[in-house]
Amino acid sequence: MSRSLPASAGAGAMKRRSRKLSLERREKAWGYLFVSPWVLGFLAFTAGPLLFSLYASFTNYDITSQMDWVGVKNFHRMFKEDPLFWISLKNTLFYVVLMVPLTTLSSILIAMLLNVRIPGMRLFRTMFYLPSVLSGVGVYLLWMQLLNPESGLVNQILSLVGIDGPSWLTDPNWTKPAVIFMKMWSVGGGMLMYLASLQGVPEQLYEAAEIDGAGAFRRFITITLPMISPVIFFEIVTGLIGGFQIFQEGYVMSDNTGPGAPMNSLMFYNLYMYLKAFKVFDMGYAMAMAWFLFLIVIVITIVNMLVSKYWVHYEGGDQR
Amino acid sequence: MKALHKSTLVLLSLGLTMGGVLAGCSSKDGGTSGNAESAAGGSNAKQEKVQLDFWTFWGSTTRRPIIEKIINDFNASQDKIFVKHTYLPFGDIWTKELAQVAAGNPPDVIVNDITTVAQRAVKNQNTNLKDLIGSDDIQSRFFPELWKTTLYNNEPYALPFVTDTRVMFYNKKLFKEAGLDPNKPPATWDELEADAKKLDKIGSDGKIERLGYEPTIAGGWDLFLADSDGLPLVDDQGPHINTPSKIEALGWVKSWSDRLGKKNLDAFKAGFGSQQNDPFIAGKLGIKIDVATFWTQIRDFYPNKEDIGIAPLPEFKPGTGHNSIGGGFVLEIPKGAKHPKESYEFMKYLTDAAAQKYWAQKNFDNVANIQASNDPELQADPVYKAAVDNLKNTKVSVVPINAPDFRNLINPEVDAVLLGKETPKEGLDKAQAAVQNLMDQNKT
Repeated sequence: MSRSLPASAGAGAMKRRSRKLSLERREKAWGYLFVSPWVLGFLAFTAGPLLFSLYASFTNYDITSQMDWVGVKNFHRMFKEDPLFWISLKNTLFYVVLMVPLTTLSSILIAMLLNVRIPGMRLFRTMFYLPSVLSGVGVYLLWMQLLNPESGLVNQILSLVGIDGPSWLTDPNWTKPAVIFMKMWSVGGGMLMYLASLQGVPEQLYEAAEIDGAGAFRRFITITLPMISPVIFFEIVTGLIGGFQIFQEGYVMSDNTGPGAPMNSLMFYNLYMYLKAFKVFDMGYAMAMAWFLFLIVIVITIVNMLVSKYWVHYEGGDQR
Repeated sequence: MKALHKSTLVLLSLGLTMGGVLAGCSSKDGGTSGNAESAAGGSNAKQEKVQLDFWTFWGSTTRRPIIEKIINDFNASQDKIFVKHTYLPFGDIWTKELAQVAAGNPPDVIVNDITTVAQRAVKNQNTNLKDLIGSDDIQSRFFPELWKTTLYNNEPYALPFVTDTRVMFYNKKLFKEAGLDPNKPPATWDELEADAKKLDKIGSDGKIERLGYEPTIAGGWDLFLADSDGLPLVDDQGPHINTPSKIEALGWVKSWSDRLGKKNLDAFKAGFGSQQNDPFIAGKLGIKIDVATFWTQIRDFYPNKEDIGIAPLPEFKPGTGHNSIGGGFVLEIPKGAKHPKESYEFMKYLTDAAAQKYWAQKNFDNVANIQASNDPELQADPVYKAAVDNLKNTKVSVVPINAPDFRNLINPEVDAVLLGKETPKEGLDKAQAAVQNLMDQNKT
């Protein structure tokens, strides 16, 4: 409480200052007060369990009977002895590498199309946004019917143009493309973000460029893209993080023959982790897997952040 | 100063309250388990009962009333114990139980999977019943095959409740139409194939209008692999996946889709999306292998059920045996339950002849109690009798402790074989090696 004040300060000034100080302090205290539920919640429900799982990933923890320190044995098993680990990692990478660019491109494309002023545009926007509101198992079941090789709508439409469609969910070469294809249906969420940022691009930039004789494509490359690049960056980062967490599709769409079927083509990393954790209670191993995934994602995100300063453009100076 | 003091106080008290709430959350029991102590409020003259919480996944309109009647009968039969039924969906019940066991607040009795009792015993998730059983001769109640599933180190950790068995249903009317003897179901795999070909109705373009039989649609490849040599895929001795019989069996399973055409089978399957629309019930499938309780569907949905015959599974080769596989459920006391003695009393009641007979009668289930199973009143039903008779051909194979998730290694290889990417021998050799590797990994 005691702050030494300069001796030169008059009594009045001192009074003023102490009042100001206590006001500042009071405000601080209220600030802490209001943030405390979140802080406590974070400590109890996020940070605590996180640290616990970090510790447990070096043990043979199985919830009920054992928790002995085994050093890096779990990691050794993962990298050296468990072929399914590599298969599941490969599947997840395949999915992420294809899904993120495709959804980014298509949501920008749709957003551009929906940024035109024609009557009925609101209806179209709603239509494109709608699928991303629907989610979860219901949608997967719907798609399982749509992708049925014989009676599904997708292959029926393909056969109209003379293409003999693949057995989407039973041919191991086509299952992941099918899941990505399904994902494309719900790009509405990203589209909405792009649409908002497209509307925020100042009209006079386009006008100026047009007067200078820039064509439509040139305007898109030099004005639109830089102006919406922060949103693209955000979408790519969150898309990557979300992509690595793919789980439900593999769990639900495995054609009743077991998770990840056929031929482990839908055995994604998180699905395998879930099976290890909650089907055979190999918790220590699953937690080691979780931390390894965390490591991958954090490295990719940091790289993203570093690379972003070369292509992400923020209006208003150098706030990188 | 004062103001600061006040806000610090508020902050502190808020923090404490939060902490209290959190601690309360962890120490409370989610409001499921009845606490006997809490009932000890009033000094009632009535004797205080021990409350038990019994968890099942039997919530359907068929099963819930049955189990709840059995529970009510038990509650009325004595005045020391009161059992409360908690229904949890099949997908959640065991995960939830595990969380409760870890928190030291489990239910008192739970229905669990019969093939993994030893897995849980190793992991300290269920209670050893040896001392509770004491000198009770309870073992003789049950089919020996089922009693065996409850043992870990030769000590029981559960009591068997129900089991199931796979039998062959065949449509006599279609048999007659196809010129086959309706009283002579196929007894070997060769006969099954010959009969099925006669039952098939296939258009000139390969489109299947009626299907005699196909193993993956109406049985499952694993069933035929087990039927071929009577050995489970994996047991304590290790994997038996690439035995000559099983390799031949898998080749045979695949030969059907080669003959009929995968696309045509897909189209046939697509016509019957769901349970409500079974091809056998619709008269579009001549033969079906399924658990005996499939009869309830025939009973409820098939117009004249006297057209349907029931028989044991056909033999791989004459003399190899009509080997069938089964599963089922047991009753367990989760580790750390508060009233094991009372829990055991209740489990004894549930596995006794009266309760088991009632369950079998209403559910058409194969019960674990021999006396109830052989009850003359039940045996009067020919289908029920056929199901019970089939138990002697049925193996319930327990999942070995060091291969808990072996199926994840076999399934992909079999997928590959059925898709024609590997020969049966290659696929099963690989699966054998992978399961062996898993079992070695888990040897601690």
